[in-house]
Amino acid sequence: MNAAWLPLTALATSLLVVVIIFALPEDARRLRTTINLAAAMVKIILVTLMVRRVAAGHEDIFSFQVIGGVDFVLRSDALGVMFAGLSSLLWLCTTIYAIGYLEGSANRKRFFGFFSLCVASTIGIALADNLFTFLIFYEMLTLSTYPLVVHNGTQQALDAGRVYLRYTLSAGVVLLLGTVLLYSLTGDQSFSSEEGLGDYLNDHRGLLTLIFALLVGGLAVKTAMVPLHGWLPRAMVAPAPVSALLHAVAVVKAGAFGILRVVYDLFGIELSVELGVITALAVAASFTIIYGSLRAIAQEELKPRLAFSTVSQVSYVILGIGLFGPFGTVGALAHLLHQGLMKVTLFFCAGNYAEELGIHRIDEMDGAGKRMPLTSIAFTIGAFGMIGLPPVAGFITKWYLGVGAIQAEMYWVVAVLVASSTLNAMYFLPIVHRLWFRSGPAHGKGSWPKEQRLGRFETHSWLLLPMVFTALVSLGAGLFAGLPFSPLDWAARVANGEYLP
Amino acid sequence: MMTMLLALALLWPLVVIGWTLWSAYRAPAAYQSYFSALWLSAAWPALLLAYGGEAQWTMDAWMLGGEWALNSLSRPWLAFTALLWGLAAIHARGYFATEQAKAQEGDQDTQRRLLRLALLWPLTLLGNVLLIIAQDIASFYLGFALMTFAAYALVVHSGTAEARLGAKAYLMLAVVGEGLIIGGFLWAAGEADTLTLQGLREGILVAEQGAWMAALLCLGFGVKAGAIGLHVWLPLAHPVAPAPASAVLSGAMIKAGLLGWISVLPLGDEQISASLAQFGNIMLMAGLAAAFGAALYGVFQRHPKAVLAYSSISQMGMMTALVAMGLVAPEVWPLLWPGLVLFAAHHALAKGSLFMGTSISEHLPRWPLPLVWGLLALPGISLAGAIGAGMISKWGVKSPLYEMHHESLIKLLSWAAVGTAALVSVALWRQWQQRHKGGSNREQWGAWLVAIAAALLTPFWLPLPAGSIEMPPLKEWLGIMWPFPVGVLFAAVGWLLTRPLKGKSLPAGDLWWLYAGMVGAALVPIRRLGHYCAKLKAASVVSAQKTEEILMGHLTRLLSTESWLRHHVSGLMMLLAVLLAALMMWEGQR
Repeated sequence: MNAAWLPLTALATSLLVVVIIFALPEDARRLRTTINLAAAMVKIILVTLMVRRVAAGHEDIFSFQVIGGVDFVLRSDALGVMFAGLSSLLWLCTTIYAIGYLEGSANRKRFFGFFSLCVASTIGIALADNLFTFLIFYEMLTLSTYPLVVHNGTQQALDAGRVYLRYTLSAGVVLLLGTVLLYSLTGDQSFSSEEGLGDYLNDHRGLLTLIFALLVGGLAVKTAMVPLHGWLPRAMVAPAPVSALLHAVAVVKAGAFGILRVVYDLFGIELSVELGVITALAVAASFTIIYGSLRAIAQEELKPRLAFSTVSQVSYVILGIGLFGPFGTVGALAHLLHQGLMKVTLFFCAGNYAEELGIHRIDEMDGAGKRMPLTSIAFTIGAFGMIGLPPVAGFITKWYLGVGAIQAEMYWVVAVLVASSTLNAMYFLPIVHRLWFRSGPAHGKGSWPKEQRLGRFETHSWLLLPMVFTALVSLGAGLFAGLPFSPLDWAARVANGEYLP
Repeated sequence: MMTMLLALALLWPLVVIGWTLWSAYRAPAAYQSYFSALWLSAAWPALLLAYGGEAQWTMDAWMLGGEWALNSLSRPWLAFTALLWGLAAIHARGYFATEQAKAQEGDQDTQRRLLRLALLWPLTLLGNVLLIIAQDIASFYLGFALMTFAAYALVVHSGTAEARLGAKAYLMLAVVGEGLIIGGFLWAAGEADTLTLQGLREGILVAEQGAWMAALLCLGFGVKAGAIGLHVWLPLAHPVAPAPASAVLSGAMIKAGLLGWISVLPLGDEQISASLAQFGNIMLMAGLAAAFGAALYGVFQRHPKAVLAYSSISQMGMMTALVAMGLVAPEVWPLLWPGLVLFAAHHALAKGSLFMGTSISEHLPRWPLPLVWGLLALPGISLAGAIGAGMISKWGVKSPLYEMHHESLIKLLSWAAVGTAALVSVALWRQWQQRHKGGSNREQWGAWLVAIAAALLTPFWLPLPAGSIEMPPLKEWLGIMWPFPVGVLFAAVGWLLTRPLKGKSLPAGDLWWLYAGMVGAALVPIRRLGHYCAKLKAASVVSAQKTEEILMGHLTRLLSTESWLRHHVSGLMMLLAVLLAALMMWEGQR
């Protein structure tokens, strides 16, 4: 039985919300909030349904022909549902957070409209079954994120937005070129097709390599791989919920997810290895990991440091692909989820510090643990997870990546992992130390840059709850990784599909 | 029943943390008691668990698959660890009584420090307990990391400049250690495709690069165990940490490194490869070097706790050598390990009571001084092997070595015991010089006395396999006891010889200063490179912007031709029409 309505409704929920929000007047705050939250809930339910159907072995397909040879196809497969699940879960969290964060500020209609559009695009990306469909949503994501990045409207924000567009639009062109080349070579190529591109290997080796380079090169901009990462730290001027979304699920992850699709579903892992591009990917990822960490150490402000940490962490996913083996794949897929959970927590924390106390620089954080204990505990959990210490989810990923590297006989990758963990410790532990072990304004030394008392608890409860939730989930994903339907379990399921036909 | 006890042992510290947090939140500062009776009980369920008998648990949902066990090794280990934690907690309540009074008077800084310690102490304990019962790699690493990072609060407690330096050294080396450990774990476990420590040992045994894996892991755990070269945090951290924290650091946590070695090395296996045996030899040398080097350096320290820290390094050096025997001479190991566990347990309690003793000598109770110093000396004398449990534990490791004819090692260990005796007498001398009257209370000396008793009677309460430990026969007594008087004599002679130096002493932390200098020197060119890169980047941005400007200029100039076209549009259209007409005429003519 094919439930074609399921992927379509999942996509339509978010798109419908966009239309409604833009139709509503600016000051219909309550109604907008209700619709936003209700839609987010509905989407979680729909994705849960999809998860259950995929687990039972059904793959729902919705398709229609656009023009001859080019189809629009949505399909719920294990990998796509995984990404859709992450995006719908974090959509709910970030929406709640954003409602609290933007309380009383201007242009909320525009913000939430594009916010929903952004999430709709990620769902589209997750469920797209061919490159054409993927490309549509990918470009939609680029365009819908721009208004969010420049939301504040300051000169700095506009500059950052311009840099962002320059990077992503030119990448889009490269991606389009690759797509067109591929279509001219093979015609419509579904992500679910069994045969892959192996038949073309003998005659078109050079062309295939070129297509791979174009596709991955285009996607690598959003993945923020060095040297194409320049836009990400600039985009830090966006409001905290946008940064959280950007780093955890929407933009950066869309790029990584695209690379996963290209390698596993379009080219197939064997062909990629045959072309010799996999090792190049692993080397590029390793370079990005180390470079991102090194740059993060040099940052003096909290959000840029987190941004460079993202540059480094997202490449763990790419590194996992580069290891060519079941363990590496599981690591890569699990990290897609784990990094999202941990990074979203960290950005929520950064936003809370900025909103409640006006903290932007790291040296202003002294003793903040006393003033905002829950936020600081969540930050500590996120930071330890990023370092890869148990029991937080980051450890699970590191374990799988490391074991995968050994089994692929790429011993240098373990060295990269260890070096990266140490560097992570070097830029996260000082922050944790400042939070808990130094005395600051909370102990009567000086004052916070701009303190507001936003709520009954340490800050506004709409800001607090999503952060506590994601922190707990990051902890739980590590502590109970062995449970069915944990991120690790689902990643293993997807990887089994890749490696055991 | 055992499962409930296990759950209680692991959850109880968390309950204690929750309760402490709750009462800190509820109770007004003036009535705040950070070290309540509940807080003292954090380690008791774990102690009970150790005496509950052997058991095994598997939990698939736990991390990568949890496997915990109480076996002949982990039971005694848990027993002495939990006992020491329990006693140190009682001691801490007395030790921090003055600070608590200060906090109740409203000193915010003290309140903060005490609350931090009261919260992270049970967390450190939890890590320590978990790593002992863990049989799978993930749980073990979790316990180890939890203990390592939570213990930072124990070291840095006083917040002085020295404490921050000690804590910094501790944390830096801990991070390095964690990196080495995870590297070693990934390598060995990936090669053997295993998730348990048992599988890891087997994997290292058969792997081609087994010796290198073992080396990585040994260095990683060596940070905690104070292996030579990585020991520098001990003499920096111990003098500044509060006495009860030093007691658990030097007694229980340092042993976690030793347990790490025992857990990952394929000790006592007959099929040990030549390279692993070679590695064992290196480890043996390193252990003996630490045993003697630390003694030689330690006797010149001024601070009694620094002396004791060097004594810990020296003692751990001996234990390193004994562990290495499991690789060098596998046939000894089955007989040797109970002796080693007894050695470790006895050292834990004895060193714990010695560290607690430093707080007694700083706050002397109103007892006759000879009695106090006699009691202070007791665990030290035992540590040197002259009385009580020390003698039995010395015999416990000596007799298997005798049986297998490793006389030279025995001789070396005996001479290392001379070093121990010298260190202990120097520590007591320094305590005498720096003694202060008054202020110690019942909890403080009560826990100390119980710890001394427990140290002297270790073999009687340690749940080792039956019959594995026996009293030394009378004719061997002299052979075990002689290092003590010789050591005291050496210390006295050394004191007489170095009197002309007028109390000049070597800095604590020896190699730390060398490392710090080296890293500082290495950072200079890196910084220069960083500046150069930043300059390069700025220059390339400027040049790119210039190029863009020039290009845009050209484009703008092109645009100006458009206005020329607009201006002459009618003429151009005419020209176009004429051209078209001409073309058609030409076409028509053909």
